[in-house]
Amino acid sequence: MKVDAAIVGIGSSVFGRGLPQSQLALAAVAFKEALEDSGLSRDQVDGLAINLGWPLGLDYDRVAEAFGLDVRYVNQTWLHGRFTGLSLQNAALAVSAGLADVVACVAAVSFTRQRHMLAGPGDMEGTREEGGSHGESPPFGMTSPAGGSAMAMQRYMALYGATSEQLAAVPIALRKHARLNPRAVMTQPMDLKTYMAARPIAEPLRLFDCSIITDGAVVAFVTTSERARDLRQKPVRIAGMHGICSGREEFMNAPRGLGINQQTTRRDPVRETDLSAFRTAGIDRSDIDGLYTYDSFSPAVLFALERFGYCGPGEAAEFVQDGRIELGGELPVNTNGGLLSEAHIGGWNSIAEIVRQLRGTAGSTQIPDARWLQWGTVRGDAVVFGA
Amino acid sequence: MSEYEKPLPRMGPDSQPFWDAARAHRLQLPHCGDCGKPHLPAAPICPFCLSTKIEWRDASGQGTISSWTRVHKAWFPAFAGDVPYNVIQVELDEGPRFTSNLVQHKEGDLRVGRRVEVVFDDVTPEVTLPRFRPSE
Repeated sequence: MKVDAAIVGIGSSVFGRGLPQSQLALAAVAFKEALEDSGLSRDQVDGLAINLGWPLGLDYDRVAEAFGLDVRYVNQTWLHGRFTGLSLQNAALAVSAGLADVVACVAAVSFTRQRHMLAGPGDMEGTREEGGSHGESPPFGMTSPAGGSAMAMQRYMALYGATSEQLAAVPIALRKHARLNPRAVMTQPMDLKTYMAARPIAEPLRLFDCSIITDGAVVAFVTTSERARDLRQKPVRIAGMHGICSGREEFMNAPRGLGINQQTTRRDPVRETDLSAFRTAGIDRSDIDGLYTYDSFSPAVLFALERFGYCGPGEAAEFVQDGRIELGGELPVNTNGGLLSEAHIGGWNSIAEIVRQLRGTAGSTQIPDARWLQWGTVRGDAVVFGA
Repeated sequence: MSEYEKPLPRMGPDSQPFWDAARAHRLQLPHCGDCGKPHLPAAPICPFCLSTKIEWRDASGQGTISSWTRVHKAWFPAFAGDVPYNVIQVELDEGPRFTSNLVQHKEGDLRVGRRVEVVFDDVTPEVTLPRFRPSE
């Protein structure tokens, strides 16, 4: 089966902290905006893909019930934000296989209201018998997703001599982007001095290495390219995909072979499989005009760059210097400001930015003549989007 | 004696032998009865050869810090009095890595490559946590 899918509509709520509305109310705003944006009617939406379920987000049955949908396809991942790519890929697969004509991908979160469930005693992820998937081990005080990222970055620094000053280039670049973006939650200027002076969270991570806790919703409609042709917007094609990788060699917050958890300590150059989304799209990595990644913690940007071979193992800390990942640079990353500075809507705010970029409607953050953009994370999930 | 308020390990059929051994002040690892390789986290099947013949054997208790962090934010109220505190990953000499804490240490010990050895911390009458101290 050939994947034949496109994003044909997007909508979003306001993004913010401590928003009084429920997840459902935020999702409703985004859903209606996506209908208006696409020109589709509600009755044409016959599939639902939910990235973050209750209680951080919404469950599919409640969304369908509340929005008066009558869908014949659903897909829901648990409450991990990391399934952005997977959720979108499932929607693309569903329409390609004819399981649905139009899948609404709905991400709606009230992280500030559910803050007690993030990395504290109320966070069930960390209590898994074998340790949490971010490396949590609460009896030893490893109680937050930040810990796993910190462990990975610490080892990366020890192996390659990378420094905090180098890592700072990531949050600083994304803050610059956010300052151009009227939707962004974090818009105060940030320079190296501000970054270094911020309080440590889990060394070597400081405050601004951690994504922000926000509320908001994004809805994206996925359909086949054939159907997309008749709709209101220029379709954004899903031209290539690669799934999330898992195994003893993988840790969700470290590149393969870094030596975290049960990984080996063998860093190989980029693997052919990690390039397969480019291959399917019929392009070369060098054709990519911008990279969008799940920047829950700033090291994730470094590790995604290495995963897909934008630079070699151990080279990303150097790669991100001198504005290379900023707008106007060689490879702009998360031009909306990402999860670090725009908002944390489970990565869907960055998917919305990809759509605006390829339509040419991103305004102040527009990458000139953007033709190919990549979603890609350290975990290996990748989607290549074409204009 | 005040009640221990920090989170305790979640134990189940696969990991119970690890915690039982720790309580007896022994560090044990699940080894494959067929291919002989040890693994963590404890599993009912060997990840290398899929044998279900799991044998618990004493480990040397020696290892090397493969990574570490110092945590400054108390996500659990019970850790609030400890911040900043360290968390380490130890690459045991047998191969598997284990997340723990470095104790009885001096300036400069908290680093990748530092050799460490296990010590046992009886945090409750029923639960003992293996922690590590600098060795050699």
